[in-house]
Amino acid sequence: MNTILRRFSRAFLCLAAALILADAKPAAGVPAFSRKYQTSCQTCHAIFPKLNPFGEAFRLNGYRMPLETAEQVKQKPVSLGAEAYERMWPEMVWPSDLPGNVPLALNVKMANIYASSVDDTGHQIVHNDFQFPQEANLFAAGTLGKNFSFFGELTWAERPDGGSDTEIEHARLDVISPFGPEHLFNFRIGKLAPNLYDGFQEMWLMTDNGVDTLFTYNPIGFHGGTGLSEENAGVSLPQGARAIEMYGVAAHRLFYTIGVATPIGAGGPNGTFGSNSQKDFYARVDYKIGGMGLDGDTTGVQLPPENWREKSLRIGVLGYTGDGKDVNFDITDEEGNPFKMQDRRYDRIGLFASWYFGDLNLFGVALHGTDKLALLDDQTLAQVGETKRTYDSWFAQADYVIRPPFQVSVRYENLRVADPTIPSIRTLNANFSFLIRANIKAMLEYHLDLRETQNYTLATVLRFAL
Amino acid sequence: MKRILCLALFVLTALPVLAGDIHGKVACKGVRDSSDAVVSVAAIAGKTFPAPKEHAKIDQANLVFHPHVLPVLVGTTVDFLNSDAVLHNVFTPDACAEKFNLGTWPKGQVKSYEFKKECAATLLCKVHPEMEAFVVAVPTPYFAVTKADGTYTIADVPDGTYTVKVWHPKLKATQKSVTVAGATAADFEISK
Repeated sequence: MNTILRRFSRAFLCLAAALILADAKPAAGVPAFSRKYQTSCQTCHAIFPKLNPFGEAFRLNGYRMPLETAEQVKQKPVSLGAEAYERMWPEMVWPSDLPGNVPLALNVKMANIYASSVDDTGHQIVHNDFQFPQEANLFAAGTLGKNFSFFGELTWAERPDGGSDTEIEHARLDVISPFGPEHLFNFRIGKLAPNLYDGFQEMWLMTDNGVDTLFTYNPIGFHGGTGLSEENAGVSLPQGARAIEMYGVAAHRLFYTIGVATPIGAGGPNGTFGSNSQKDFYARVDYKIGGMGLDGDTTGVQLPPENWREKSLRIGVLGYTGDGKDVNFDITDEEGNPFKMQDRRYDRIGLFASWYFGDLNLFGVALHGTDKLALLDDQTLAQVGETKRTYDSWFAQADYVIRPPFQVSVRYENLRVADPTIPSIRTLNANFSFLIRANIKAMLEYHLDLRETQNYTLATVLRFAL
Repeated sequence: MKRILCLALFVLTALPVLAGDIHGKVACKGVRDSSDAVVSVAAIAGKTFPAPKEHAKIDQANLVFHPHVLPVLVGTTVDFLNSDAVLHNVFTPDACAEKFNLGTWPKGQVKSYEFKKECAATLLCKVHPEMEAFVVAVPTPYFAVTKADGTYTIADVPDGTYTVKVWHPKLKATQKSVTVAGATAADFEISK
């Protein structure tokens, strides 16, 4: 067991390096909206980037306020055609408008990372790095006329070797309520964070670390997956996807989304393209009881003035399925013989719940995954075996608002990997956040590997948005 | 003839009382313009003024309080209307207005508060932290708010000597004695 733990201690160090030192943590608040509406970040965020119920409604509404009026938009948009041209279509181009100002925003993150791990010989290895800056995110977000919205994020992140990576994390166009009842039919196309993960993808978490055991589990392995993915390994769920998605809200409280995406493959947690000719499919249905409606409706609801508070319960089911045929991963057996492996069919099904009780928000996901793994000859790619593996992953997170500038969060993650010889991965993530100003945030975050308590990271993070 | 003389005498004696005002300019140094200063006559010994039955009004429209500064006579009830499709809240951190918190309410609804004491109450909305307004409750009905150029007029002030106060949301308050005799000019300068 000690050997296994040491192996995972090393893996933990690699992950600390890969996920904390190099990988970009996308998104935060988008000050372009503050400028557009001349309103505070806290109108939509409990503590950025976590959305409060109003912010969630604003997001789902294509970055429009519920029942928005022209007067609420303080930066007058540039008209690209009088409204009367709508009646003349298709003799004339349907009118649109542009944001009144260039809808850009910048987010900068600086961090001091103290990472401790144990190597094969039992020695403790410590890194203590000033990462000033660790990353910068350039956002573009807004609306284009009545029914279109857009969101883009370009991330620049420094690597430990002194180099840097630039990635388009998001680039998408939304079509908001083009027909039918308002809020019911909306569409998104592009590289996006699927609404499948609404509420728990890292771009909507108050913590610095995302839920790695949920998103970066690597199901590929001779006896099934053994741990979290490293670069170019397979992933269990893509944090981001190149997808076409439909979503909507019915009767104020029923949320649904369905989407089609390029398959999971090599290339890290943001998905890939060109892996094969197949497509993945996903869906989620939620219902919210109590609190503000998911479309911002407050009819018959008495809400407290503290806009992060409410008493509500949102529960949902989610699923993801796909075909990884022809996407090859390199593996070896116990003797070191090379093989290829394909995840011929992967199915994920999960439950989501989020409970708001005043200043407390308790939420989590339980996910069951099944992978039909085909073992192929390394040279001829002839199939030499096929197995079905399963894994289970769940997490629970409690966010608590002590006072609006001071918030804490604790998350427990548990991942039972498919390989039965590997113990479950269990981690604890604790965060203290301090809003120095509405757009400047400091965080102290402790991430502990519960299998080996000398494996931990302590991150001190400062980020600001403008 | 007697009646005409009596009437003329009455008009001559009454005229200064009816026509008196205090007018002038408040120069606000260190702010963008000279608007939003409240000029008011301080409490007058031996005189009390009944609060008006009519309520004063503040609207919340497009995430802004209208007006930004509202002077009222002590005892006045102010109605807070929400004209937006989003929820609004009104509360004050000021003890002189009992740190009231009116909760949240939707579009078209009104909540009210009676300003019982002399007070400069800051009004805030917890739902939209950028929103801010002020209700300045003063002890006499003689008050005015300056325009952007700093000018103001307090009408119908009886002749006499009064303490005239100036309050501003961002600048130091000031006061001085003003003797009103008909139309009377009084200028002020305030700064941080």
